[in-house]
Amino acid sequence: MASYLVAVAIVALIYMLLTVGLNLQYGYTGLINFGHVAFFAIGAYASALLTLKGWPLAPAFVVGMVVAGLAAYPVGLLSLRLSDDYLAVVTLGFAETVRLVIQEEKWLTRGVQGLPGIPRIFQSLGVGGYAELATLVTLVACNVAAVALLVHLVRSPYGRLIQAIRDDEVAVQALGKDPARLKVQVFMLGAALAGLAGAFYAHFITYISPDQFLSLVTFYVWIAVIIGGPGRTSGAVVGSLILMIFIEGSRFARDLIPGVSEVQMASVRLAIVGLALILFTIYLPQGIMGKRKV
Amino acid sequence: MTLLVAKNIVKHFDGLCVLDDVSFEVPERGLTGIVGTNGAGKSTLFAVVSGQFAADSGHVDFAGHDIGQLPPMKRARRGLGRTFQVPREFGHLTVRENLLAAAPRAHGETLLSVFLGWRSVAAEDAELGAKADHWIDFLNLKAVAGKPASTLSGGQKKLLELGRVLMLEPKCVLLDEPFAGVNPVLIGEISDKLRELNTSRGIAFVVIEHHLEALKALVQHLYVMDQGRVIADGDPAEVLEDPRVHEAYMGGVI
Repeated sequence: MASYLVAVAIVALIYMLLTVGLNLQYGYTGLINFGHVAFFAIGAYASALLTLKGWPLAPAFVVGMVVAGLAAYPVGLLSLRLSDDYLAVVTLGFAETVRLVIQEEKWLTRGVQGLPGIPRIFQSLGVGGYAELATLVTLVACNVAAVALLVHLVRSPYGRLIQAIRDDEVAVQALGKDPARLKVQVFMLGAALAGLAGAFYAHFITYISPDQFLSLVTFYVWIAVIIGGPGRTSGAVVGSLILMIFIEGSRFARDLIPGVSEVQMASVRLAIVGLALILFTIYLPQGIMGKRKV
Repeated sequence: MTLLVAKNIVKHFDGLCVLDDVSFEVPERGLTGIVGTNGAGKSTLFAVVSGQFAADSGHVDFAGHDIGQLPPMKRARRGLGRTFQVPREFGHLTVRENLLAAAPRAHGETLLSVFLGWRSVAAEDAELGAKADHWIDFLNLKAVAGKPASTLSGGQKKLLELGRVLMLEPKCVLLDEPFAGVNPVLIGEISDKLRELNTSRGIAFVVIEHHLEALKALVQHLYVMDQGRVIADGDPAEVLEDPRVHEAYMGGVI
């Protein structure tokens, strides 16, 4: 049971990194990124492939982050020309494209067979839970660092300006400021966090394949942002925890609901997620940690 | 000396001619008014002069330079500010943060300076904070300085936009209906403030307004627009007596 809880906590913290990144993009800057999973996948594959080639983990993680961040550069440029829903459609398409490239470029990624045998984080600590505990501690440290940096960023003049861009981009331009540079940077920062999350994921699960990087992952992260409260740093933390409690908790809920099979339960779970999302947007659009309407 | 010149501006939207060869001039330290019916093209003219929309043809010169091809942010940086007919406040930011976000600054808006140069960022923030507080006082927004801008009344939002553009230390400000939705007492107060800014800081104002009495008292030169054209301009009192203006603007009622 303890090792199960540790594993759940690790996945929750991986989602938290993703959520913090998307919250910077959407919550603070207003960028509707429906392709978050693409950068998660890029980070995972970059780090996994390098370590399978014999790289040590630490530099592979860094490269995973950097590659994911750089991959966001062209998408960030697109965000300058596309607003809101158009950007959403394009980023969604980008994520599907990345997944299909991973699936088809078999010489590099082994396609649908996936990459097995990815070195585990802290493998040298051996079995018996120490490796997982060390992973957990590292993830906590990474999340604390990410949140601390984000809090510092959003309280700075830079943070004021990205929030101004979110609230009214035309006014920002009329006041002599160029939103373009900041939007591209924010896209890249959020993607780098997703890349880091991807590297942790690959080296924790130790096997990755294209079907782990469906857009469903993006939507889970969106749910965490919306439930927690867009544009609130604490919202990203709380939202991803609630999401994980729900996803994992609903495994046990099957025992409580008689006559629902394992397969049906997956659908029931999605239905409940959808219902929760609708109720949140109607009754608590500012999220759990959001400021109450004044 | 002429500060702002818009010459032969033409602008179409989907084949509809919104601005048809419009020209106007603003002298340095000038107070200029623009009136006209709804849909006459006044706000579009501001959008073209400020760079929000590109003109189909025509020239815009500011302080002796052709700025017609510059993006809006570069025009603002040269000292040509504007406000909007429908206020575009940064709703989630407080009033004070709105002003701070508008201030031109050397530090704090690049990632490098945020994470490595926090000392100079903090120093600049203190300096700009004092400046923001000055304008907040000047515009009587002190009571709402810490409130999110979205909670302000329509009139307060107009004042907020004025405060924000003043942070740029502009040479010229285009004001799009600063008196709309503002109570009569406040209209007088805003007029006084604009006059004061004009006298003490030398800021030129171009004002689009439907409150003809207030505008007549404020500006030195008035342009009248109708269906995308300037149909008359000159001394405000005389222009408003012009029968053509009556015909176009008031439908000959008066």
